[in-house]
Amino acid sequence: MRLITAIFIGKLIAFLTKFLKIGGGSAAPGLYALKIDPNLVEKLSQQIPKNIVITGTNGKTTTSKMLAHFSRTSGLSVIRNHTGSNLERGIASALIANCQLPTVNCQLDLGIWELDEAAFNRVSPKLKPDLMIFLNVSRDQLDRYGETDTVVNKWCETVSKLDPKTTALINSDDPNLAKLKKYFKGKAREFGKKDIKNIKLNGLKGSVFELKIENYKLKINLPIPGLYHIYDFLASFTAGITLGLQPKQIISSLKSYSPAFGRVEKLPFGHIFLIKNPAGATQVFETLAPNIKPTDALLLALNDNLADGTDVSWIWDAGFESLQVTVNSLQVIVSGTRTYDLAVRLKYAGFDPKKIIIEPELENALKQARKGLEGQLFILPTYTAMLKLQSILVKAGIKKHYWEEE
Amino acid sequence: MKIENLKLKIVVGYLYGDLMNIYGDTGNIIALQKRAQWRGMDVKIKNISLNDQLPTSDVGTQIDLFFFGGGQDMAQELVASDLESSGKGEIIKSEVEKGVPLLSICGGYQLLGEYYKPHKGPQLTGVGLFPAYTEAGDTRMIGNIVIESMFGKLVGFENHSGKTHLKKEAIPLGMVIKGFGNNGKDKTEGCLYKNAIGCYMHGSLLPKNPKLADWLLQKALEIKYGKDIKLEPLDDSLELQAHQKAISRFG
Repeated sequence: MRLITAIFIGKLIAFLTKFLKIGGGSAAPGLYALKIDPNLVEKLSQQIPKNIVITGTNGKTTTSKMLAHFSRTSGLSVIRNHTGSNLERGIASALIANCQLPTVNCQLDLGIWELDEAAFNRVSPKLKPDLMIFLNVSRDQLDRYGETDTVVNKWCETVSKLDPKTTALINSDDPNLAKLKKYFKGKAREFGKKDIKNIKLNGLKGSVFELKIENYKLKINLPIPGLYHIYDFLASFTAGITLGLQPKQIISSLKSYSPAFGRVEKLPFGHIFLIKNPAGATQVFETLAPNIKPTDALLLALNDNLADGTDVSWIWDAGFESLQVTVNSLQVIVSGTRTYDLAVRLKYAGFDPKKIIIEPELENALKQARKGLEGQLFILPTYTAMLKLQSILVKAGIKKHYWEEE
Repeated sequence: MKIENLKLKIVVGYLYGDLMNIYGDTGNIIALQKRAQWRGMDVKIKNISLNDQLPTSDVGTQIDLFFFGGGQDMAQELVASDLESSGKGEIIKSEVEKGVPLLSICGGYQLLGEYYKPHKGPQLTGVGLFPAYTEAGDTRMIGNIVIESMFGKLVGFENHSGKTHLKKEAIPLGMVIKGFGNNGKDKTEGCLYKNAIGCYMHGSLLPKNPKLADWLLQKALEIKYGKDIKLEPLDDSLELQAHQKAISRFG
């Protein structure tokens, strides 16, 4: 009864938040439902035949979206916390939305759950995953997660207690993760550069490479750019074949893959690249830099809300210098709650301070950036700036709400 | 030769930069480097880590300014024992006695005090440069910090569980207006000894506090060239806006 009440309240809140247009219902329904039944995630997820958890500093959303795409095009019915709400409440909200009352039925084959570095420890034991994916670990929001040593040590403690029937997929190119194999008693499988060769980067269109896993030798045409996305692909591909999906089917479904919102998201006038920590941001800069043309414009937005990390020191560890090399003549606009910190960072990265346009208000910054734009606009926002941008774009009729995308 | 005709050179010693550089502390190195370059100086960043020695010949260490950032517990243990066993700790201390400027943040600051007592494991002996000692606390002190100092207001971001206590003779870098500071109790933040500064302020600290960055550069040049040096002023309008904005939001 407690479970049914919790689901009912969750559904009601989801309805109200959408009806009153205060949000997408990706966190609040779960938050309140969990107060009524703290075991909701455990109870509902066990109705799903298979559950996968994905954690790491960078690439969670893309890996999870790609794996969901592979699974769906292979005929599976999939649920995931697709809005990127990767705490327990986000998972609860997704489960509630998919659950029918009063039977509490979930007609699903597979749950794909991205969990942030801390939530992994609390929520994976409840999800009892069949598969867990460790992408990477680097400095990210130290004010929330602590130092990287601490993050990995806590993961080790968590996996040591998980059922050895679980399979672990581990990025073999991240030395920080090697320790996990010692603590996990189940089967561990690795993915990384050992699986691929002959990489050709194809600008912002993506990359082409050869993949050799087990007995499969395949040519991959990945429609999203950047070396870092190859890792996300490898993780989701390896997970896919571990689940028993057909490699040929996976490869052919890549053609119809569209990136997750804010992650190299394509707009009619440019692209959005989410930046949120030094490693991820540097990868974005390095991918972007060779593809920027003099007629393009750059809009960077730095916020310091809780979900961004309140400490913006990280911008000094991110390689803004690599952006500067190609774009010194470009129109550059900075925005967000930490506009001036970002402007100072750009100045010290070699940008001409007189050419940096300062506009803390994101909506105005976007207007200004699009004014007289001949080339493309590259928007690089932190997390909450990205969410704000999404709602600005929706309001302007440029795109749908991100929670309506799946 | 007159100093005016000489291209000024400055060597910044980055202490254990490969182990101790969390929370964007590298931004301080970038700030020192750029602000010297913008004035036409030659800047060299010299990394000094575990296997390196500091020369102690008559010409000194050839380092004009030291920077020492923060690190994780494991790194801190390695570094503490290296400072002692390699003799680098003593050399740095005697350089500071001569007036060579130094900036240390968080973990680096802690190791330059008398000792650091972590949660687990043995107490780490410090260099004893600052008359202060640090003991791990139970709560993390996290957030924006604003202090009042001889350099005016300074802004940054702190994130530490170690509580540093200044001894009677110690001079704090400043007094906390907003935030926790050394220990969350006595309102002091950081420590100043001769031209050496230790504090908990990340942010990064120097880019948003250009006055402090320039003071370090100026002291470095004065000691190196043995005369008063006036730094050419720079256009700091962006830096000062970032500084001002932090004060108005958090101060």
